[in-house]
Amino acid sequence: MKFQIEDVTVYFPYDHIYPEQYQYMLELKRALDARGHCLLEMPTGTGKTAALLSLITSYSLAHPSNPLKLLYCTRTVHEMEKTLAELRRLLPYLPPQTRLLALGLSSRKNLCVNPAALSSPSRDSVDSACRRLTASWVRSLAAERPPGAIETCSFFEAFDQAASGGPDAVMLPPGVYTLQDLRAIGREKGWCPYFLARQLIRYANVVVYSYQYLLDPKVAGVISREMQRECVVVFDEAHNIDNVCIEALSVSVRKQTLDGATRNLNRISQEIDRFKATDAGKLRAEYNRLVEGLAQRGNLPMTDSWLANPALPDDILKEAVPGNIRKAEHFLSVLRRLVQYLKGRLQTEHVETEVPVAFVASVNSHAGIDQKMLKFCYDRLHSLMLTLEITDTDDFLHIQTICDFATLVSTYTRGFSIIIEPFDERMPHIPDPVLQLSCHDASLAINPVFDRFQSVVITSGTLSPIDLYPRLLNFNPVISRSFTMSLTRECICPMVLTRGSDQLPVSTKFDMRSDPGVVRNYGRLLLEMVAAIPDGIVCFFVSYSYMDGIVNSWNEMGILQDVMQHKLVFIETQDVVETTLALDNYRKACDCGRGAVFFSVARGKVAEGIDFDRHYGRLVIMFGVPFQYTLSRILLARLEYLRDTFQIKEGDFLTFDALRQAAQCVGRVIRSKADYGMMIFADKRYSRHDKRSKLPGWILSHLRDAHLNLSTDMALHIAREFLRRMAQPYDKTGGTGKKTLLSQEDLENLTDATLEMF
Amino acid sequence: MAAKNGDEKRIRRDGAGGDEDEEEEEENEEVMMEAWERAYADERSWESLQEDESGLLRPLDTASILHAHYRRRLLRRASAPASSRIQKGLIRYLYLVIDLSRAASETDYRPSRMAVVLKGAETFIREFFDQNPLSHIGLVIIKDGVAQRLTDLGGTPDSQIKALMAKRECSGDASLQNALELVCDYLGQVPSYGHREVLILYSSLNTCDPRDIMETIEKCKKDKIRCSVVGLSAEIYICKYICEETGGSYTVALDESHFKELLLEHAPPPAAIAEYAAANLIKMGFPQRGADGVIAICSCHKEAKVGGGYTCPRCKARVCELPTECRLCGLTLVSSPHLARSYHHLFPVTPFNEVTSMPLNKTLRKTPQACFGCQQSLGNQGSNSVLYVSCGKCNQLFCLDCDIYIHESLHNCPGCESQRESRSYDAKA
Repeated sequence: MKFQIEDVTVYFPYDHIYPEQYQYMLELKRALDARGHCLLEMPTGTGKTAALLSLITSYSLAHPSNPLKLLYCTRTVHEMEKTLAELRRLLPYLPPQTRLLALGLSSRKNLCVNPAALSSPSRDSVDSACRRLTASWVRSLAAERPPGAIETCSFFEAFDQAASGGPDAVMLPPGVYTLQDLRAIGREKGWCPYFLARQLIRYANVVVYSYQYLLDPKVAGVISREMQRECVVVFDEAHNIDNVCIEALSVSVRKQTLDGATRNLNRISQEIDRFKATDAGKLRAEYNRLVEGLAQRGNLPMTDSWLANPALPDDILKEAVPGNIRKAEHFLSVLRRLVQYLKGRLQTEHVETEVPVAFVASVNSHAGIDQKMLKFCYDRLHSLMLTLEITDTDDFLHIQTICDFATLVSTYTRGFSIIIEPFDERMPHIPDPVLQLSCHDASLAINPVFDRFQSVVITSGTLSPIDLYPRLLNFNPVISRSFTMSLTRECICPMVLTRGSDQLPVSTKFDMRSDPGVVRNYGRLLLEMVAAIPDGIVCFFVSYSYMDGIVNSWNEMGILQDVMQHKLVFIETQDVVETTLALDNYRKACDCGRGAVFFSVARGKVAEGIDFDRHYGRLVIMFGVPFQYTLSRILLARLEYLRDTFQIKEGDFLTFDALRQAAQCVGRVIRSKADYGMMIFADKRYSRHDKRSKLPGWILSHLRDAHLNLSTDMALHIAREFLRRMAQPYDKTGGTGKKTLLSQEDLENLTDATLEMF
Repeated sequence: MAAKNGDEKRIRRDGAGGDEDEEEEEENEEVMMEAWERAYADERSWESLQEDESGLLRPLDTASILHAHYRRRLLRRASAPASSRIQKGLIRYLYLVIDLSRAASETDYRPSRMAVVLKGAETFIREFFDQNPLSHIGLVIIKDGVAQRLTDLGGTPDSQIKALMAKRECSGDASLQNALELVCDYLGQVPSYGHREVLILYSSLNTCDPRDIMETIEKCKKDKIRCSVVGLSAEIYICKYICEETGGSYTVALDESHFKELLLEHAPPPAAIAEYAAANLIKMGFPQRGADGVIAICSCHKEAKVGGGYTCPRCKARVCELPTECRLCGLTLVSSPHLARSYHHLFPVTPFNEVTSMPLNKTLRKTPQACFGCQQSLGNQGSNSVLYVSCGKCNQLFCLDCDIYIHESLHNCPGCESQRESRSYDAKA
């Protein structure tokens, strides 16, 4: 259908539109008009992606003079494919003369079609296998030798051949290309899909890729460098965006890293000796280059560049490399001293916390490496490895980590801290020393994005409380709004359960969690629910250790055996393969009617990325409030920083973080309006206003006052009633009462006054 | 509220025909019972209370709700096959599968799920034979993880009910697959003109199956067995899947009365899918009623009986009641009213149109209308909802009670019938 939003004609790929989608588009359009950033919360299952894509493409069509480019960031490859599929749906509805090129970009692991490289197990090893075949020196060597003597990648050669005829030669016709399509085209034409995609993103109207390509300075420097200001950046499912930003700038060094780094250094030193014997000219050329102040080797061929400097573009020094690390041997000895120093620090018996300035000073006094040398570590290593023509970069990850660390610690003085822990707090008997450089300020990584691009849209199903995000990320949104869901029937039923069947309070508060009464009450709750609820139930616990403990106790009490009479039990573990298998079997058990319970952990893989829609999740129980491990040094340091810098109280942040995780967990259960599901928050603390009010609006609006302080038997009664009501046939369009689907005519008749109703 | 109730009662009394007066009396007696004499859980009146937007309690208009409900059902039934000329399966072979697993002992239905299910099954069997005199029913129960056949396919309601009432205990798990396998085997033997159906009354929320249930569903689909499920507590994915695959219907009951209602929806014959049953000629016998005082050995009770009974036209054996199959020669025995009773399924009375009453309409005031069925006046009763209906063909007006009576029991429109009569009189004159 086609309709007008103010002066823009919007093409929408469905015959009907939800009122909240219309509202969403309206706000988005205003944000684009204002060329500002915006923050929009809309529940899952309301067609966020469709609304976003159709508005932004339509907007760009309506302003042909300065076409907007859309950079759409998703968290997973799966979401990427879903987004592109949605865009493909939109394509036929656009005016016929539209030339829209959209594609997804992912790592080589997902795009490569060369069987030799693809056989490698991990992402890093595929990258390095690719480099082994395509690095510029390998190719020039292959060109000198007789064909077949040195292996190269035929796909890349063909692509390079074609690309040498100018960018138009490898241009694909307008359309939507998913990763799968790109691979198919690559096989068909014999072109390398990865480099084809890298080439095409410069010309594409829509690029769908991962968060890291914009937020992690190491990757962004390579991939997104050429993006212009006229871009709309969308971060979808962005409720954890602050954590992504922080992780991008944090480094942790373990004993294994240091040992690996030592091995790497030995390898490098051998290589240097070899080069000295055979090709001393290259080393000399590098030295001269460094004197001129080019840490990078000018414009590298696309295949040679790997990760860029970990520091943000504005903070990178543009001067000559200091003299004492210009020579390869000297640099090597600097690195050796640094590794030795770090090894010494790791042998500590106590937990140590330091600020970067003190750390750098200590490095200077103990190892004789000054701040400037540290700053150049990363680029100097990069340059050295290129000169030495090292292709198996995956073996050199350890020394790269060390250089990362060195560069970051010396570049930033604020917003970071260094924490050395000799062992894990929870297992004090096992020595596991780790040195962490942790970033506390999420705004550091994302600020360049805000500065560089015209509009940044941050959107998710759970962004509550919406006023905290601008403070955490340190930006000023022109629009921040939270939408609720318009429903034809009450298809979600959140409940807060505060008491067990014996009327005693339940909680995972530290002093209560090991109380056998609480454990039993939680068990009884689960038992009652498995008997009353069909198909799938998902349970979320606050941590792995808590889950282990409570499942053990349930087993001893015989509760687990009783549960098994009704439903099969599956458990998430830290092993990805095991968990995937468990999930598969869980789905099977739900499909064939046996019924199943899935035990999972908030903040785990399952809580973030797996949907439990339809019969796969009729009920989700959140046992406890998923606070972070509050004794963690990193968290404490971050809290202190947030308090000092952004005036965010520790308690506020902790509650906010716990509640967004809880909302994320329970939000797994409902993915569309036709679906239905129940949510039980089983902890007495949820009934308190300060906790509850931080839940997203679409859950709060269905949380009735009567459901705030329930005991197990009352919850059971409500659940039964709800399930019976939901099992009745219903009218999708909403019948006579509230309209939840608007047709084109409805939209045309719409005035602002009626919109307020929704 | 009180005045409102009074109003309602008056409507009902006004509407009720002479025949129903006795029933009305009984109902009133029930209502007259003191509050403490009634079972606490039978009438959870507080649950049916509804709030409006501002949180005020909304008065309950049960009569109009009831009627609206009935209208919706009627229209749904009428609209589904209306598009094409529909063939109905009048000869049905139905297995009633009753879940007597552990879940059936729960007491969210009063007195227990099992009691409600068995009571419902009894009503259903009677209603089923009333509506489908040419059909057969068999009983299967699920218990302790296995399915067991209680009775063979047969045409007599009483023996089925007796067998059912003998099994009043529940235990163990439920297995849908076992039940379907069993039914599949037995329904494989029925003649090709019959419509094969399974109706499952399912209390459990899961099924413990020995093998892959999907294969069994495929088999049912191949054997053209129509599976329907009435659930007691919540929607279960696998039941929904079975019903969708085999063309049956899946419903979930809200409470005791809703359960009965859903169950009885399965009594009228479903629309037949052409390829499901081949059209065929069937041999039937129309036995004569034996004269009073004749002594004969009854073939069903195996003892001498005096008077009554019917005699099979082929082998002269005596049977007690119709319809049935002759024990000796296997001939289907029916009486002609049975055949005639099945007839109305093919030519149902079209649903009547709702007439919205307009209290201010003066023309209506002047000519007080009366229901064509019961001759009660259709005056303004104070409520502004639909109060009467009119037949689309003869334009006669009927009250709500007559509307239900005509569609559920009479199956003929008195207005149209009398028109036809008067026309024939005119022709004679």
